[in-house]
Amino acid sequence: MIVLEHVSKTYYPQSVGLDDVSLRIEPGEFVSIVGQSGAGKTTLAKILMAEEQPSAGRIEIGGWDITNIRAREIPELRRQIGVIFQDYKLLPKKTVAENVAFALEVSGAKGAHIREVVPQVLKIVGLEDRAHRFPRQLSGGEQQRVVIARSLVHRPKVLLADEPTGNLDTLNTQDIMDLLVKINAFGTTVVLVTHNREVVNALRRRVITLKDGRIVTDHQHGKYTL
Amino acid sequence: MMRTAWRIFVASWKHVWRNLWIGLATVVVFTVALLSVNVLIATNVLLERAVQFIEDRVDVTVLFQPNTPQGVLDQAKFYLTSLPQTASVQIVSADDALAAFKERNKGNQKILDALAELPGNPLGAELVIKAHDTADYPFLLDAVRNPQYLPFIHTSSYEDHRDAIAWIEDAARSLRLFGSALVAIFALFGLLAAFNAIRVAIYTQREEIAIMRLVGATSGYIRWPFVLEGVWLAAFAALITAGAVAFGMAYGEPRLAQFFGMDTGLRDFYASEWPLLVLAEFGSMALLSACVSWIAAGRYIKR
Repeated sequence: MIVLEHVSKTYYPQSVGLDDVSLRIEPGEFVSIVGQSGAGKTTLAKILMAEEQPSAGRIEIGGWDITNIRAREIPELRRQIGVIFQDYKLLPKKTVAENVAFALEVSGAKGAHIREVVPQVLKIVGLEDRAHRFPRQLSGGEQQRVVIARSLVHRPKVLLADEPTGNLDTLNTQDIMDLLVKINAFGTTVVLVTHNREVVNALRRRVITLKDGRIVTDHQHGKYTL
Repeated sequence: MMRTAWRIFVASWKHVWRNLWIGLATVVVFTVALLSVNVLIATNVLLERAVQFIEDRVDVTVLFQPNTPQGVLDQAKFYLTSLPQTASVQIVSADDALAAFKERNKGNQKILDALAELPGNPLGAELVIKAHDTADYPFLLDAVRNPQYLPFIHTSSYEDHRDAIAWIEDAARSLRLFGSALVAIFALFGLLAAFNAIRVAIYTQREEIAIMRLVGATSGYIRWPFVLEGVWLAAFAALITAGAVAFGMAYGEPRLAQFFGMDTGLRDFYASEWPLLVLAEFGSMALLSACVSWIAAGRYIKR
C-alpha cells in the first residue's frame, strides 16, 4: 500500500511542486496520475522513488515510512520499487542482459539466481533474442521493454512508470501498455504517470488528476478530463 | 562480500575495455606525466655525474724540494692517507715528474733546451692528493703543511685550483637544487594533468552513474569499479613508462655516453633503482587516480 498524507514539496524560493497531497493506493491497483506540464506529476514520482524529499507531510510504501529516508537506505527502497522512465535510463556500455542483471547484482544476488531470472524476464518482455545487444542497437520500444524487464527482476510490489510511452509511437505505446496491464494482473501495483489521453482513457482504471500541485479529481474508473 | 568484490573487479575491467578511447587518452596523459618526471630524474643523474666527473679531475699537488728524502715522502703519504677526508694519495718520483714535464712540453724546444742545460733534475717529487669532497682540500693542505714536512715543501698547486674548486662547489650545489626543484615541478604538473584526465573520464560517464543509483546500486558499488579502473590505467601507464625508459637505456644511453665522452651513470642508476622507481611511479599514479575517481564519481551520485 502507498500512503501520502498532506505531502507538499516547495522548490526554492517559492515554486510549488506539490501542495498538501493526500492519497492511498491499495495493493494491486493500477493508478494513472495525470495532469498538464508543471502539475506536479514528476515531483510525485520523484518523491515516491526518494529522488526528492518532501518539504512537509508523510509517505509510506508497503508499511515503510520513507518520509525522512536516509541516503544509505535509498538503494534498498529502489530494489523494492520497479521504476520505468521516459528516457529509458539504460546503461549504454552494458548489453541488454547485463543491464537487467545489474539490478540483481547490486542487491548481491547469487550468480546462479541471476542466470536463471534474467532470461525469464527477457522472455516476458519478448527480448530473449536481444540479450547480447547493446541499447544503441535497439528501437525505442525495445529499450523500454528492457527497462520493464529490469524493473521486474526483483518481483517488485510496486511498479512506478514515469511517462513510459512519452518517446514511443502508437504501436509501441500499445505494446508497453499491454505489458503493464499484464504485470498488474499478476498482482503488482502499477502507478502510471502520464499525460497521454488515449492511454488513460483506454485503461478505464483509477485516474488521479493533478493541477498546480494539488489533486483535483480522483475517479475509480476515470478518464483524462483536462 | 567476495561475490561483490569479484563483481566490482569484473566491472572495472569491463569499464576499461568498453571505454577504450577514454582509457587510452588517460593512459597517454599518465604516461607523458611519468615520462617527463623520468626525463627530469635522468637529467638530474646526468648533472650529478657531470659534477662528479669534474670533481674527480680536481686534485692538489704538493711539490717537494729536490732531494727530499724518500722517508719524508712515505711518511707524508702515510699521514695523509690516514685522514678520513683523503680519497687517495700518490707519490710521483722526481724522475717521473721530470718525464711528465718533458712529455707535457715536448712541442716547446726552448724549454727542453733550457732543461738540458741544467746539471741535474731540477724537479722534486710530488704528492698528488685527492679528497672525497672538494671542500676538504684547504684542510688537507693545512695538514700537509705541518712543521714536520713544511721545510721540504717547495710549493702546492692548490692556489691555482682554488677558484675552480669554489666554482665547481657552487655549480654543483645550484644544479642539485635546480634539478630537484624541476623534478618536483614536473611531478606536480604531471599529477595535475592526471587529475584532470580522470575527472574528464568520469564526467563522460556521469549519466551512467546516476542510472546505477536509480536502479538501487549503493555508493560503494558505483564508486569502486571507477577506482579500480583508475588503478589499472595507472598500472598500464607505469608499464609503458618502464618500457620506454628501458628502450632509452638500451638505445639512447650509449649515444649519450659517446656524446659526452664519459659514463653517464644512467645505467647504474636505473639498474639499482628501477624497482623503487616503478613502484613509486605506479603507486603515486594509482593513489592519485583512485582518490580522484572516488571523489569525482561521488559528485554524480545523487540521492
